[in-house]
Amino acid sequence: MERACISARQLFMLAILFEHGSAMVIPLGVDAKQDVWLAILCGMVLGGGLLFIYYRLFTYYPRLPLTSYSQRIVGSFFGKVLGLIYVLYFLYIAARVLRDFGELLLTFAYPETPLFILNTVMMLTVMYAVYKGIEVIARASQLFFFSLYWILILGFVLIIIAGAVDLRRLQPILEEGWEPIFHVVFTQTLYVPFGEMIVFTMIFPYLQKQEKVMKAGFLALFLSGINLAIIMAMNIAVLGADTVSRSTFPLLNTIQEIRVANFLERLDVLFMIALIVGGFFKVGVFFYAGVIGAADLFQIKEYQRLVYPLGISVLLLSIAIASNFAEHIKEGLQIVTIYMHIPLQIVIPFLLLLVAVLRQQKTDKENKGR
Amino acid sequence: MWTRSKGKKEKDTHAYGGLAPNGIYGTIDQDLHTNIEKVRDITGNSADIIIRRFLLGKDDNFPAALCFVSGMVDEHIVQQLLLEISVQLSLPSSSCGLDYIEQKIATTNTARRIQQWHDIFSSLMSGEVILFIDGMLEAIGVSVKGGEYRAITEPSTQLSIRGPREGFTESLATNVAMVRRRIQNPHVWVEAITLGEVTQTNVRIMYIKGIANDKIVEEVRSRLRRICIDGVLESGYIEQLIEDESFTTFPTVYHTERPDSVAANLLEGRIAIFVEGTPFVLIVPTVFIQFFQAVEDYYARFDIATALRFLRMLVFFISLVAPSVYIALTTFHQEMIPTSLVIAIAAQREAVPFPAFIEALLMEVTFEILREAGVRLPRAVGQAVSIVGALVIGQAAVEAGFVSSAMVIVVSITAIASFATPSFAIAISARLIRFALMVLAALFGFYGILIGVILMTIHLCSLRSFGVPYMAPLAPLILENIGDTFIRFPLWGLKERPHLIMNTDTVRQKDGQRPKPPQRAEKEGDSN
Repeated sequence: MERACISARQLFMLAILFEHGSAMVIPLGVDAKQDVWLAILCGMVLGGGLLFIYYRLFTYYPRLPLTSYSQRIVGSFFGKVLGLIYVLYFLYIAARVLRDFGELLLTFAYPETPLFILNTVMMLTVMYAVYKGIEVIARASQLFFFSLYWILILGFVLIIIAGAVDLRRLQPILEEGWEPIFHVVFTQTLYVPFGEMIVFTMIFPYLQKQEKVMKAGFLALFLSGINLAIIMAMNIAVLGADTVSRSTFPLLNTIQEIRVANFLERLDVLFMIALIVGGFFKVGVFFYAGVIGAADLFQIKEYQRLVYPLGISVLLLSIAIASNFAEHIKEGLQIVTIYMHIPLQIVIPFLLLLVAVLRQQKTDKENKGR
Repeated sequence: MWTRSKGKKEKDTHAYGGLAPNGIYGTIDQDLHTNIEKVRDITGNSADIIIRRFLLGKDDNFPAALCFVSGMVDEHIVQQLLLEISVQLSLPSSSCGLDYIEQKIATTNTARRIQQWHDIFSSLMSGEVILFIDGMLEAIGVSVKGGEYRAITEPSTQLSIRGPREGFTESLATNVAMVRRRIQNPHVWVEAITLGEVTQTNVRIMYIKGIANDKIVEEVRSRLRRICIDGVLESGYIEQLIEDESFTTFPTVYHTERPDSVAANLLEGRIAIFVEGTPFVLIVPTVFIQFFQAVEDYYARFDIATALRFLRMLVFFISLVAPSVYIALTTFHQEMIPTSLVIAIAAQREAVPFPAFIEALLMEVTFEILREAGVRLPRAVGQAVSIVGALVIGQAAVEAGFVSSAMVIVVSITAIASFATPSFAIAISARLIRFALMVLAALFGFYGILIGVILMTIHLCSLRSFGVPYMAPLAPLILENIGDTFIRFPLWGLKERPHLIMNTDTVRQKDGQRPKPPQRAEKEGDSN
């Protein structure tokens, strides 16, 4: 672990940026058609349950990251194996998000630029930030939090002024009942972005006032859930469920609908800012967690030494991960969800918590016995 | 190992050539002649060291000499002193003991007895008059510091429409007094320190005891003490030796020419460093937002001040990104420009033989050359430069087909914006970053600009000034201080001083400072 300390407010803003990250720009849970906002909200509620698991684990070991307390819970060897799995998971997801980001940028604005170059530029920025440490990332998140929020509010106001919103497109609600919604929740929205809060188990221990984790974490989760639901509802109200489900970037198409006074139009740059800032924080947090986890596992005092080798690995991985975007998306929806998100976001944390609770009870009994 | 460390030690002692006055050992001799020879010898018989020999005592039986540096003392007072001594000591009742002489001089001037040669030379060089008397083992140093200084004038770099008109001068004592006159409080503490082994420059640290954080004061002290350099000619030397991070374009030490600005900063718990011989006073710790706070913001009403703050932020941003946005738009993102405008720009650019990046670079560099020429040129030629400049960055350049007129507008806006940035120090860093952003924009369009901005933000967030995060109170967000950043709250709303790492006393005003019309008494009617 790095010697650093961040405030609850910083954690809150970092988590918000992280949650918005790529989820804001991609078609999140569009299989639920016009009820996608419901799917997001349900995902958020269940994600709250997951966050509670992570939070309970944190209360047992408030000074340790996931990679350390896993060793305390299931023993040194299995704990290290688990820690390693998580480190690889974080780095892999960082590479996935980086790929997502690069592909989005490629199709949206730079059709002739090689993916590798786009990813390299982004990854170098992320590496610089991670090199500077969590305090700096957290401080930067405060500055970007406000800029992102201003942009969101600006976009929201403009789209309403432009008169593109038709709330009837959100009807009928629950056309096919709850079943498709829960299907979307359990295959998509629960894990991305809400279950991804697992990465914050590596960051919670830096908090200055540990009792505020709960408030900051849950507030961030709920606020970003509501925001994402509003954004997706907005997309549907502007474009209609059909267009949204076929679009690669619903948010971009929505923003392009803004035409005010023959002057404020083609505000694609707003979308771009949201995409790049969001992508940066998402890759950044995952990568930081991976680096810090690796430094923690292998007892490396200066985690900075790992930034460049691991950063380059993530960069290469992001290219090697899939041969094209369709393959990448398919892997993401089918393989990663089943073999990575479900076990690593839900099953293992739950089991860890179970063991931790049992251990605690055992030690309590022993203490009483004495 | 042993030899290496020894070699290093030797090198250390000779690093500045042993020129410090404290390298002159020994005490003065009884014999006047020997002493004078010593002074002549050490100063190399310099022309500006004036030695006046005369005889003292009732019977003119004590040869004595006055020694001073011409131009650094007030020569009228020296004349007077000389007269006084000779008159006093020729009185029948007088004795020629040192005590007696010292007392007599002390009635009009500050006098002290000195024995050590290094003391004598440092007093002499700082503008004191040294009185040697034959047969005495001590000399008397009389402080008659004087000489010519530039008069107090309006500061030339930080002008204000409303506010005091005086700026600092090159005289340390005057500068310190100008601030003290503004804060007439015994808790304003001034510490003296001498820096520069050869120049022996006087430096003063000023802070308000009780408001300034003792830890930061100690940090300033220790950083200043660590300085071991031959000369300190301007506060910039000190700035570069005490700043937290050298490899940054952003200034982490604030400097000002205005005494009211120093006073305001002292009241906020900051520490001022005065250096002899320069009108620029350093202020630490510094945060980024300070460079957007003009003193006038606090003299004007809050709404106007807030509007001006926004304007300055905007101006800084424009001076940073205007050319790169132009490059990005014309090279990568034509679809983001409204159709009629894109046609107009394309028509202009048709005749231009360069890509947008080269075009912008050409103009920006030309402008930087003009600016540099304008700063350094003798006044008499200045006008010629501005005429030529207007031709180069203007219609002639467009007509010649080198650049498009849109580019001329962009460059002009950037230039004006960078002049409108209130602090030169931050404007100059924006100038450098602008070129980096232009390169990024030429490579990656808006993506490049955004990456550049993210990198810059991360860099800014990683900076600290004397332990205080540079972006405070924005990041880390300190809600109590947010009223003095992008917006300036009404003065009664600025209840707390900046929280610079655990200040002891942060409350700066009582509650209820908001002005209100007097409550009307109940019985009082309108008829009054």
